[in-house]
Amino acid sequence: MQFEWTPEQDAFRHKIRDFLEANLTGDWEKFSEHGPASPALTAFAREFCVKLAEAGILFPHWPVEMGGEGLGPWEQQILAEEMWIAGEPRGGQYMNVNWIGPTLQKYGTPEQKARYLEPITRGQSLWCQGFSEPDAGSDLAALRTRAELRDGSYVINGQKIWTSYAGLADTCFLLTRTSDDRKKGITIILVPMDTPGITVRQIPSLIGEGDIHEVFFDDVTVPETARFGDEGQAWEIVAYSLRNERLGIPRFTLARAALDRAVAMLQGESRFAREHVRIEAARCAALCEAAATANYAVVQKRVDGLSIGAESSSARYATVMAERAVCEFVVEFVPQALAGASPYLKMHHQRGIVAGVAAGSAEIQLNIIASDVLELPREPR
Amino acid sequence: MQLALSEDQTQVLDFIDTLARPYASVPMHDASLVLESADLDAALVESGFLDVMAVEELGPVTAALVVEKLARLPFAIEAAASVMVRPLIDLALPRPLCLVEEGRIGGPVRFLRPGASVVVVGPSGVRSFMADAGIIAAAQVDTLYAYPAAFLTGLPDCMTSHDVDAAEVLRAWRVAVAAEAAGLLAAALAATVAYVSDRKQFGRPLATFQGMRHRLAEDQVMTNSVHWLALRAAGTGSRGDAALALLHAQEAAKQVCYDYHQFLGGMGMTLEHPLHLWTYRLKLLTAELGGRGEQGLAASDALWG
Repeated sequence: MQFEWTPEQDAFRHKIRDFLEANLTGDWEKFSEHGPASPALTAFAREFCVKLAEAGILFPHWPVEMGGEGLGPWEQQILAEEMWIAGEPRGGQYMNVNWIGPTLQKYGTPEQKARYLEPITRGQSLWCQGFSEPDAGSDLAALRTRAELRDGSYVINGQKIWTSYAGLADTCFLLTRTSDDRKKGITIILVPMDTPGITVRQIPSLIGEGDIHEVFFDDVTVPETARFGDEGQAWEIVAYSLRNERLGIPRFTLARAALDRAVAMLQGESRFAREHVRIEAARCAALCEAAATANYAVVQKRVDGLSIGAESSSARYATVMAERAVCEFVVEFVPQALAGASPYLKMHHQRGIVAGVAAGSAEIQLNIIASDVLELPREPR
Repeated sequence: MQLALSEDQTQVLDFIDTLARPYASVPMHDASLVLESADLDAALVESGFLDVMAVEELGPVTAALVVEKLARLPFAIEAAASVMVRPLIDLALPRPLCLVEEGRIGGPVRFLRPGASVVVVGPSGVRSFMADAGIIAAAQVDTLYAYPAAFLTGLPDCMTSHDVDAAEVLRAWRVAVAAEAAGLLAAALAATVAYVSDRKQFGRPLATFQGMRHRLAEDQVMTNSVHWLALRAAGTGSRGDAALALLHAQEAAKQVCYDYHQFLGGMGMTLEHPLHLWTYRLKLLTAELGGRGEQGLAASDALWG
């Protein structure tokens, strides 16, 4: 076992840091207060990702046959960490390189690959993920947005909610119901967001302007060739996508960076001498580092080519605990940070409070741990 | 970064499994307040498992793995200090090794008995002496802590000084206790999971009730991260990592010990079930090195000055 980064991994991290330092100039920190899905950051990311692509660090972890460098899971982790600590200047495009691209490569038709992969590699496309619905959140398989095949076209009716990036996305990776079979009746359709019949409504939120939306589909008609995979194959494809994105965003890195910022503010005001503050800060750091090691243990499994199971839920829950602790520390000891004194800490707070809700709620993670890590007898349903 | 077990590490852990198999369980209805085994201790010494840290290809991470593994047994073994701290001081110090903080010698000292090596760590440096009966006061016979423990009545006038940095010894001590706690947490979790999966109320296993499942899952998350933080602290040798590892272990111990006794109900209050052998060791470890607050301050000093 080796807990230090190799010189090559360190060099890769520094390459990214140097790039970020050179390209996130001026008032970037203040600017990053705009959420990753905000119009401002989305527009910024369209230029920034082009530069990333030119520098060869947009998708270096993709296999060589997809145009990447075939770098391993550690490099993918390092890339994700550095981007997230910096405030995620890729905006919503991080999804493209993490899972949409690899999923397109595996399941897409030649036409779909030709149409969608190339803009991703140029840093020029934005996707949204049409998963949750008003009555299908944690219980995703309860989704009802219907797609009916009529004369060679799918006609889609229904509603999605909490959809990030929907306001500006080019394409929606949409889960629809094509039959009543609960999981086997779900089908993916790739829907251009400028298709007539789509209405996007922003939901005002605590987590930044333009971040989450309701999306309505009224007789939205797309050709049958927009179907991704077979009818009823969505559950399998989503499971594959999640394997590429199982750990999700490395939030613990930003939480730790935010904690260091909060401590620096306290030190600057000579308020970090009090023992209870120091102890609480250390508690937060322990939770951040605990999350880091739990996540790294899962990355190691990817490196070793082992299948990743429920331990990723354990790592994600550790991350939620770290986020919660740091968010609470900042509010308790440097409350001015969220009222204008620190754009960085406000940015962290707005992203941190979502940790236990986004991409599968914390309670669902606990259910998975109970059943699949601890192997407790199942709950009656 | 490379977090998979090496072949050597897998082998060491497999050997320990084999050696400790006869001691891996304790018959129900036969768990006393403390379980010790001189035979097991002798077998461990003879096999060399307590000296792995000094073996170049094994080192501190393997040492932490050994400590963690042995702590899972229902039998209390003086391993943590001997495996992870003794190599820094003097490998020839006779076991058991008892670590005490200068200025804080009033608490119960684990494994203290005549012939034990007592190491006093603090501002005056690192000093040791061999305990004799005259300096030991027995703890109450039915002490709950599941470790053999006794009190020091004072320190001898004459102690052996060791030329080693006290801060370094404190660091290794923190890692050793964190690794021991990781094993205790894992064993206590396994015992609780087995019980609630088996015990039925309202016609179904207790473990099917979500009120219990979620808390057990949270306990798993804490247990898992204590394990990794302890190994990382062993691997990096960083004082900050060591303090964070023990802080997290002591936080976890507080949380889970309450949960597990709660989940076992009346059975968790008896000596019939071995749960207390792990939880009451954990409880004593929450007091080690001044408890959570002291680790928090040490971590804070290391991280932020």
